[in-house]
Amino acid sequence: MVAETNNLGYTDIHEDVVRSIVKTGPKYYIALATAGGTTLLCFFFPWFYQLYYGIGAAGMNHPGVWGTYLASFIFWIGLSHSGTLLSCVLHLTNSSWRKAMYRSAEAMTLFSLVVAATYVMVHVGRPWFIHWALPYPNQMELWPNFRSPLMFDVMAITTYITGSTIFIYMGSIPDFAAVRDRTSGWRNTMYTLLSLGWRGTDKEWHRLHWAYTFLAVLIIPLAVSVHSIVSWDFAMSIVPALHQTIFAPYFVVGAIYSGTAGIVTVMFVLRKYMGFERYITKLHFDNLGKLLLVLSLLWTYINAVELFTSWYSGTSEEYEAVGFKLFGFYAPLYWEMILFCAVAPLLMFSTRFRTSFMPMLILSIVINIGMYTERFLIIATSLPRQYLPDAWGVYVPSAVEVSIMVGSFALFTTLFLVFVKIFPSVSMYEVKETMATPKLGSVAPASGSPA
Amino acid sequence: MPNIDRRDFLKLVGAGGVSVGAGFMLREANKDATEYLIPHVVAPEDFSSGLATWYNSVCSMCPAGCGISVRTREGLAKKIEGNPAHPVNQGGLCSLGQAGLQVLYNPDRLTGPLKQTSARGSGSFEQITWDEGLDQLGSRLDLLRAARRGNRVAMLTQGVRGHLAQLFDNFMRQLGSQRLLHYDFNHPHTLYAANQRFFGQDRLPYYDLHNTRMLLSFGADYLTNWISPVHHSLGFGESRQGSSNERGRFIQIEPRMSASGAAADEWLAAKPGTEGILALALANHIVSEGNYAGADRADWAVALTDYTPAKAAEQTGIPQSTITRLADSFIDIQPSLAIGGGAAANHSNGVDTLMAVNVLNYLAGNIGQEGGLLLNPEPTSVVSQQQQASYSTLLEFAEAARQGEIDVLILNGSNPVFTLPQASEFREALASIPLVVSLSSFLDETTAMADLILPSHTYLESWGDDFPEPGMGFPVGAVSQPVVSPLYNTRATGDIILALARQMNVGTALPWENMEECIKDGWRQIYERGDAQTLAQGFDSFWTSVLRAGVWGETAAGDSEFTLDRSVISNIGVQAPEFSGSEEDFPFILHPYLSPNFYDGRGANLPWMQERPDPMTSVVYGSWVEMNPSTAKELDLIEGDLVDIQSLHGTVRAPVYLYPAIMPNVVAMPIGQGHQEFGRYAKDRGVNPIEILSPEIEPITGQLASSATRVNIVPTGRRSKLVKTSGTSRDLGREIVQFADVNGVELSSAGSNSIPITEVTA
Amino acid sequence: MSLFSRFMDGWRKYRKPGYYDEFDYHWTMAIDLDKCTGCQACMTACQAENNIPIVGEEELARGREIQWIRVERYWEGEYPNAKLSFIPIMCQHCDSAPCETVCPVSATYHNQDGLNTQIYNRCIGTRSCAVYCPYEVRYFNYYDHHWDSPLEQQLNPDVTVRGKGVMEKCTFCIQRIREAKDHAKDDGRRRVQDGEVQPACVQTCPSKALVFGDRKDSENEVSVAINDPRKYRVLDELNTDSSVFYLKKVDA
Repeated sequence: MVAETNNLGYTDIHEDVVRSIVKTGPKYYIALATAGGTTLLCFFFPWFYQLYYGIGAAGMNHPGVWGTYLASFIFWIGLSHSGTLLSCVLHLTNSSWRKAMYRSAEAMTLFSLVVAATYVMVHVGRPWFIHWALPYPNQMELWPNFRSPLMFDVMAITTYITGSTIFIYMGSIPDFAAVRDRTSGWRNTMYTLLSLGWRGTDKEWHRLHWAYTFLAVLIIPLAVSVHSIVSWDFAMSIVPALHQTIFAPYFVVGAIYSGTAGIVTVMFVLRKYMGFERYITKLHFDNLGKLLLVLSLLWTYINAVELFTSWYSGTSEEYEAVGFKLFGFYAPLYWEMILFCAVAPLLMFSTRFRTSFMPMLILSIVINIGMYTERFLIIATSLPRQYLPDAWGVYVPSAVEVSIMVGSFALFTTLFLVFVKIFPSVSMYEVKETMATPKLGSVAPASGSPA
Repeated sequence: MPNIDRRDFLKLVGAGGVSVGAGFMLREANKDATEYLIPHVVAPEDFSSGLATWYNSVCSMCPAGCGISVRTREGLAKKIEGNPAHPVNQGGLCSLGQAGLQVLYNPDRLTGPLKQTSARGSGSFEQITWDEGLDQLGSRLDLLRAARRGNRVAMLTQGVRGHLAQLFDNFMRQLGSQRLLHYDFNHPHTLYAANQRFFGQDRLPYYDLHNTRMLLSFGADYLTNWISPVHHSLGFGESRQGSSNERGRFIQIEPRMSASGAAADEWLAAKPGTEGILALALANHIVSEGNYAGADRADWAVALTDYTPAKAAEQTGIPQSTITRLADSFIDIQPSLAIGGGAAANHSNGVDTLMAVNVLNYLAGNIGQEGGLLLNPEPTSVVSQQQQASYSTLLEFAEAARQGEIDVLILNGSNPVFTLPQASEFREALASIPLVVSLSSFLDETTAMADLILPSHTYLESWGDDFPEPGMGFPVGAVSQPVVSPLYNTRATGDIILALARQMNVGTALPWENMEECIKDGWRQIYERGDAQTLAQGFDSFWTSVLRAGVWGETAAGDSEFTLDRSVISNIGVQAPEFSGSEEDFPFILHPYLSPNFYDGRGANLPWMQERPDPMTSVVYGSWVEMNPSTAKELDLIEGDLVDIQSLHGTVRAPVYLYPAIMPNVVAMPIGQGHQEFGRYAKDRGVNPIEILSPEIEPITGQLASSATRVNIVPTGRRSKLVKTSGTSRDLGREIVQFADVNGVELSSAGSNSIPITEVTA
Repeated sequence: MSLFSRFMDGWRKYRKPGYYDEFDYHWTMAIDLDKCTGCQACMTACQAENNIPIVGEEELARGREIQWIRVERYWEGEYPNAKLSFIPIMCQHCDSAPCETVCPVSATYHNQDGLNTQIYNRCIGTRSCAVYCPYEVRYFNYYDHHWDSPLEQQLNPDVTVRGKGVMEKCTFCIQRIREAKDHAKDDGRRRVQDGEVQPACVQTCPSKALVFGDRKDSENEVSVAINDPRKYRVLDELNTDSSVFYLKKVDA
């Protein structure tokens, strides 16, 4: 069913993938150095400056006490969504086209979560006491506040990170074993450890599949709940325009939406620069495009509903919030968001558009810019204009915030670049599953087909 | 690696130990005294760690004379509160009074005597000793006195009362000088003059806001800066929702809504300077309606013929129906009270305006009535009244200086370079005086022009006393005692004067060792005039009880009789105000008002006051010019646009603030900012509208008619961010402030639900 | 008692502010808007009492003011019928405080006196309490603030100077309440008497618009005030059950 992979042999897959791990060209090093350097310069340096100086280095004020840090946090959590969630859903629905790209997607999840968790540290005023938010027995006999939506959030995200890590790791074990058998030296040692003594017996395959499916089932509600809980950070408050029941589905849809767009971006990069043209094909883009389109329509619908509810309430608070969003200081950003997230994706009704790589890349980036804007607007248009008009203000991000935002992308890229050198970034055994059974004599010791 | 044997090892260890020990001791020796847990080996009196000690004293931040209690801990002043026993403020205290601590602990205080080393105003000073400083000034004074040229010495002080004022008087008399000038920008000369003419008293009456049911205020911002704001606030609260069942009604007439205007039930804007005409129109209506039944009714009818409500409506811009309604309710609601001040009193017709206000009180029978205006008896203790110098007196003084008639000028706290218009050329006049000495605690604009600075203590470090004016219907005195030991090498003003007296060998007339003795001696006389009960306790016990209570008052008050001199009636009349500048060239009337935060600018060096949002606009750290939104629309201006405010006598530049309650042809600016000196918090911040005032005077008193300047507004095309704490000052129908009628029944708010999304605020 | 009803019982208690069945005191403030003149003496008194930092012009321009009590102003109408009303807003010490539920580390909680307290040491600076507070009375320390020497000598030794990264707000001058309780204990009394404790803002108010006391004593001034027909609470519709009552401005 995957047309273009049919002319591949198992060996080709192994060689391609192992090559991507073992053979490292100067381009990679340049990319890594650039990403790492940018991370250091744009993320860690401003952050340390902020730690030394105080959160005042960012643009937050009274009453706009939350800002881009939290917007970025939601953005990264959102981006994290599609990876694992998509992978799980597609795994359960047996969509075989997922197989070429799900490993990267899951990695994206993991690293997005890591970046998001880092953002929590960047966001709080005293990150050196962040462990107080974790429930652990301590000599102060103090527990966190379990009534707090933020506490739910801490729980949800730690669970999600744990689940995603296990999921991606478990799915990689056969591939680690495959790489183990083709490498030597320290790599061999490392992959020996990572593959947990995988031998590829039927029993092992059986257990892997069972556990994998079990986790997939488990992670879907988890992913949905994580973003619902993130939305509760806002929706459980009584801030006008945030205190809405639609927030949980809104955030979940938004998360999957931006995450899916993110996968398109990453797939394009993998395909183009990591030499995976043969595995990531038009078909993937076409299918993801359809998914994106549906999500875009859903997102638009929820936005419209949100506006309607606010308008229908007729209270000054909601009225002002909507008015400020649509026509206020940040109105240009709002309309940009509508253009990027609701209008532009309509192009994907065209099959030609969906199957063209470059337009899809641009669209996926545009969608994520729009989605970042959405997260920013949620915070920047509601918090500074709450109940008491005399206390109103405007929140404008500072250079430090912008820098840290840029740096967070570099951090993500750095983590991803490290990842592709350790993890087989395309799931070898699952790609093989999609192929015709090879002729005898093919070298595939670590990947007995699970017939 | 050399071989180290046991001996070497021990030597090294020994040497290391010693040097470490020495280092430790060196560090200990260099430690700041504050690093020790309890810095005092022998604690001073009243010092107990962890326990607060309270001292009663007197606030000197404005001339109201409120009593304060200062909380001290470990010898440091921590908090100022109103003294509940003091009849003026009864425990309350205003913002500026609270900030007095920052006068004491201001980082820009002068820490010791200084001498100007190069040209005046260059700001280069060198430190000298007190002996040097006192010697330089004292010998000069002694020479002049000996040569009988004492009148070539002048002293310009901020308004001072009590025994310090007496000391100044005495000192200048010994010198043979008549040039003792008390000067406060906000001194109500016109009010004194009007009351003098009407009541024949040279002191202010007591305005009984507590019990009044109807207050008609002609421009007097009684809650912010008129005479005794804290006392008036107390009265306002009491009248509004106090023990009486009837709620007091407050009506404010002024071209720009002040804090008192906001607190009032009704705010009316009469054309600037026509408030007196309005008052007389009210009087006319009262008399013509037969609501006045006095014997001199006919005289009044004649005197007021020209001031019919119909005519006044035309002149003042207030509808005739409103005038008659006000006049009727002024009679119907009793007790009523009319007061006048602020901009209304600062026009060329200021005295006449205030006379007209007194007429209203007279016709409504408010004089001597509870809830009206109570005449104060002659003070029996210390003569609290000082002769304040008016603007024209200062001009005369400046002229004398220019003529070379002044050799020495001693400045005490007064800052005329800041509080006089540029047109007075006072700064230039200072240049003609050979020796200018300042006793100020801060390097203000005038002190910066001094040759010699002998910095005095702040009021929290020195002895003093105060007799509030106006009295409370009975004599009140309060002793101000040092609450902390002096921070710096400064001296109390009184001590400096006494030291100079000793240097001039006039010590016999001023026999006191220091100010404390002088005060104590003065109070001994008050004690000796006391009744038998007072005398029975002995002076020491009396003195201790005064210090402890912080205030002393005679409960028995003599009544002050009043009969109106008939000649006053025929002289009643208010002319139209005169303005400087033509209406064509200068279409706007400038309304300068005292900032609620800085008083006349003396609070501008206090960071708390700089950060205190202006009550009406919420602007902090700057100046602005208020104009009506319709005016701004005409000129195509929005908030934050920089404009030039041009008068005949200068230009200042300030950002625009759209003020909903100001007449369209009036622009208002707060006084207080725009210092060129005065420490880091005040310097180069905002502009000073006094600079561009025309030297127009009120002819009877010689007071500066500060509201008589016309200006032009010229947009500059530039913008500046107006720093304010307020977002949107409209409640958008959210009913944050809710209203009820007098019976407490809820009234729905009339707030509009329009969306102010175009408003960009931070 | 069945397991279920025990659970429900515990749950109800958990949902209650501060888990108290009854407060020891119920500190309450009443503000008569008909008396308030907007003079802002309360703000300066509060700043002096509670070591509130001077943030500077630049920070104020960025909206980083710290004012535990602030006077809000609301205009109504246009010239010549413009009207201005003032309303002092400070922490309302809500008995169902949104800020208390959201703090992940319980740095803000309800104490046995019905006060909404902020524990600076425990605060990690998520600022979520400030988001959840509809009255916007929580202020964040964006920096370590500093006092130009010797202004720091004025600092009240009974009140912490807050460092960077910490949220702060009105405490109803808890240090004064503490002191009054100590005095009462020293005098062998069980309870603090009415009038014995006054927050700095109440103490200084020139027009005596602010009244403070224990609501549990039904005779005192504050109890009389909060039973006035004019009483209301700001944003009462949000069910925060606040401890600051306002008396409506009279429009006559």
